[in-house]
Amino acid sequence: MFDEKLKAALAAVQKPGRYTGGEPGCVYKDKAELDLRFAFCFPDTYEVGMSFLGMKILYELLNQNPRWWCERAFMPWVDMKAEMEKRSIPLYCLESKDPLTAFDVVGFTLQYELSYTNILAMLDMAGIPLRAADRGEEWPLVVAGGPCVCNAEPLADFIDMMMLGEGEEQLPAVCELVCKAKAEKWEKKRLLRAMADIPGCYVPSLYDVQYNEDGTIRAVQPLDGVPAVVKKAIIRDMDSQPLPTHFVVPMIGAVHDRAQIEVLRGCVRGCRFCQAGFLYRPMRQRSADKLNQAARDLCGNTGYDEVSLTSLSTSDHSQLEPLLDELLEWTPGEHVNISLPSLRIDNFSESLIAKTTKVRKSGLTFAPEAGTQRLRDVINKNVTWDEIEKSCRIAFDAGYTSVKLYFMMGLPTETLEDIEGIAETAQKIVDLYYKNPDRPKGKGAQVTISVACFVPKPHTPFQFWPQDTKEMLEEKQKHLIHSVKSRKITVRYHDSKTSFLEAVFAKGDRRLGRVLEEAYRRGCYFDGWDDQFHYDTWLEVFRDLGVDMAFYANRAIPTDEITPWDHLYYGVDKRYLVSEYEKAMQAQTTPPCNRKCSGCGANKLLGGACFDYDQSMVHEDR
Amino acid sequence: MTTIRVWFTKTGEASYISHLDLQRVMGRAMRRAGLPVWYSLGFNPHIYITFALPLSLGQESEVESVDFKTESDPAQLDFEAMAKALTEALPRGIDVVKIYPADTDATRIASARYQIRVPGDWTAALAAYNAAAEAAVEKKTKRGVKTLNLKDTVPAIESWLRDGETCFVLTLPAGSTGLNLNPSLILGWLEQHHGLPASAAHVLRSAIYLENGAKFLG
Repeated sequence: MFDEKLKAALAAVQKPGRYTGGEPGCVYKDKAELDLRFAFCFPDTYEVGMSFLGMKILYELLNQNPRWWCERAFMPWVDMKAEMEKRSIPLYCLESKDPLTAFDVVGFTLQYELSYTNILAMLDMAGIPLRAADRGEEWPLVVAGGPCVCNAEPLADFIDMMMLGEGEEQLPAVCELVCKAKAEKWEKKRLLRAMADIPGCYVPSLYDVQYNEDGTIRAVQPLDGVPAVVKKAIIRDMDSQPLPTHFVVPMIGAVHDRAQIEVLRGCVRGCRFCQAGFLYRPMRQRSADKLNQAARDLCGNTGYDEVSLTSLSTSDHSQLEPLLDELLEWTPGEHVNISLPSLRIDNFSESLIAKTTKVRKSGLTFAPEAGTQRLRDVINKNVTWDEIEKSCRIAFDAGYTSVKLYFMMGLPTETLEDIEGIAETAQKIVDLYYKNPDRPKGKGAQVTISVACFVPKPHTPFQFWPQDTKEMLEEKQKHLIHSVKSRKITVRYHDSKTSFLEAVFAKGDRRLGRVLEEAYRRGCYFDGWDDQFHYDTWLEVFRDLGVDMAFYANRAIPTDEITPWDHLYYGVDKRYLVSEYEKAMQAQTTPPCNRKCSGCGANKLLGGACFDYDQSMVHEDR
Repeated sequence: MTTIRVWFTKTGEASYISHLDLQRVMGRAMRRAGLPVWYSLGFNPHIYITFALPLSLGQESEVESVDFKTESDPAQLDFEAMAKALTEALPRGIDVVKIYPADTDATRIASARYQIRVPGDWTAALAAYNAAAEAAVEKKTKRGVKTLNLKDTVPAIESWLRDGETCFVLTLPAGSTGLNLNPSLILGWLEQHHGLPASAAHVLRSAIYLENGAKFLG
């Protein structure tokens, strides 16, 4: 379908390379030989989607089956969307250029609440009816996975089936069932009912939600004998899952355009604001040998000259230094750089920095998240000023001159004193730099503080906490600017409007489906992009439909209230979330779970203890 | 150190790879294919490659070339095997025609030939161009916009119809020195004055010539 219409559209848009496919590593198959065609849809731009490791994992995995063909589709940028609509080009997958309607399964990955309207846009551009109830037997099955599935209730009207947890075993099981249903000519209804028995598969239409008069949920009723609680799928042994070694290599620069090796999954830290830290429990790591081999194969197959060791907290890998030693045996000769994106400030050692600076020296990024020790204890970010100081001193000694610090604003129990603490922390780092007698001559320190607005997320202890209002957040932003005295400090902060809408949809329920649809009809999509975000339109839609945004974002949820996501189980018991919430209010910390088990319940997913506590995985204090 | 030249084509989907992106794509493909490329020295060593004549986004070509340096003895290199490996490592639409030690200096490039096809009958538009006393276009250069009379360089264009398309061939000045004329300037003039659909035109670069009229490649 690389036809004249498409060529004419490509001639009229910016970055046509987003829409052509044909990258090295692309998989092509003979359509006559297939049992199943899967359209993997990323509801954001090509550059964002091509950075996403999950897509690479599942693309390689599904395409290993010679009778399945997984292809990719991304949300076309505004100019291309207009060109495609003008020329009646339906949304297509990049490999075959066939429209989404030619596929058996259209699967979306839900990475971010503000991409929900893009999902509607992509369905609409393909000519697929938005609502699941309006799609008969002739339409593709529309499914979704990814972290936001932990409460994608606002999308319940549009998605046939959602997949909770990890896809490596679950998605092939789903595809096999689709093939069986096709061969035996099942009706969609029967297929969906059968899917509900696959671990982690959630069919929203098979759960009836009833509400109280005050708008809260009275009950979620499973229908047709489906499990009352859907439990996420999990890979018990990460070493059982080969790493992808054949990335599709984008030709136009992606956001993260490098080889990525997932060293571990989950996180031991238990930061109370962090949704990923709760969704991916327990932490499981891959062995250094497998990682090294995969890194080498991946670089060889892709030609990448940079390999990134990715995870939620890479320095928590118990064999990180041996792994770096193995990598450093071959990377310099192959002209490959190593990057470590997720280092923790508290176990950032001199030998570690020596190993990474052997290859390349760039800025350093740390995430203290809060400006005072009290608030860091509240959020369980177990980092102390002494550790920050030590890490920065090591970094400055090694020749680094710029430090970037991530903070959040609007955290539970936060006061203006905590906001001032952010500025003070940055100032102390600047002072530290100038106290170093060996600092590079003529080079000034540059400390950037990047402040995000806290968004309470489902399945975290802070799910009960009301988000600060836009006014409160803006006031705090102003206070921070006033508190910063040095020109060596740059302050960046996020737009509070975006965070407000993110909170509404993160903690939303099914009644937001019609809001999403109406907002899309009025021209909202790419909401995560500042220049495309129409906040006023959103406010109008909520007002016109009589839906109160504050009910979702700014209301404290009693710990015994039924949340829209209580029937979606990620392994962490709700009583644990409540106890963590209560500890947070007392500013009490909880140790990392590889040091001491705090009994969150996720070990049941593995059927035993999460760690061999005799072989401590926690780094010694270095 | 020897300079090795890779002659390749750029067609279909690959015509949408911009020049900047092509540099990255080519560098990675050379790494993947295991070519004996020389890396620049310094703290951040990188592959040192030069393209002879950048191609505009959306245009196709049979005559692209990129040079790399090697410390290997050219007599010891299996160029055919290298060409095969490199083609396999490159995206669809980029095929290596030949790899060989560079025999001419790319700075000697003086002109390029383009085969152009436009859907529909536009012979009248071309006749109007041929009859016009002047065909002024604005050309953006590094120093700003300057006005150019296309007729000074291309006094007349011969065209013919085939399979419902208007076809013509343009040989235009090209190269790193002197005037460089992109066929899109002529297509743009035809669009602006006579409604020819420039964005639907199919442009294929089919030859590159040196100042003495000899072919740069092939």
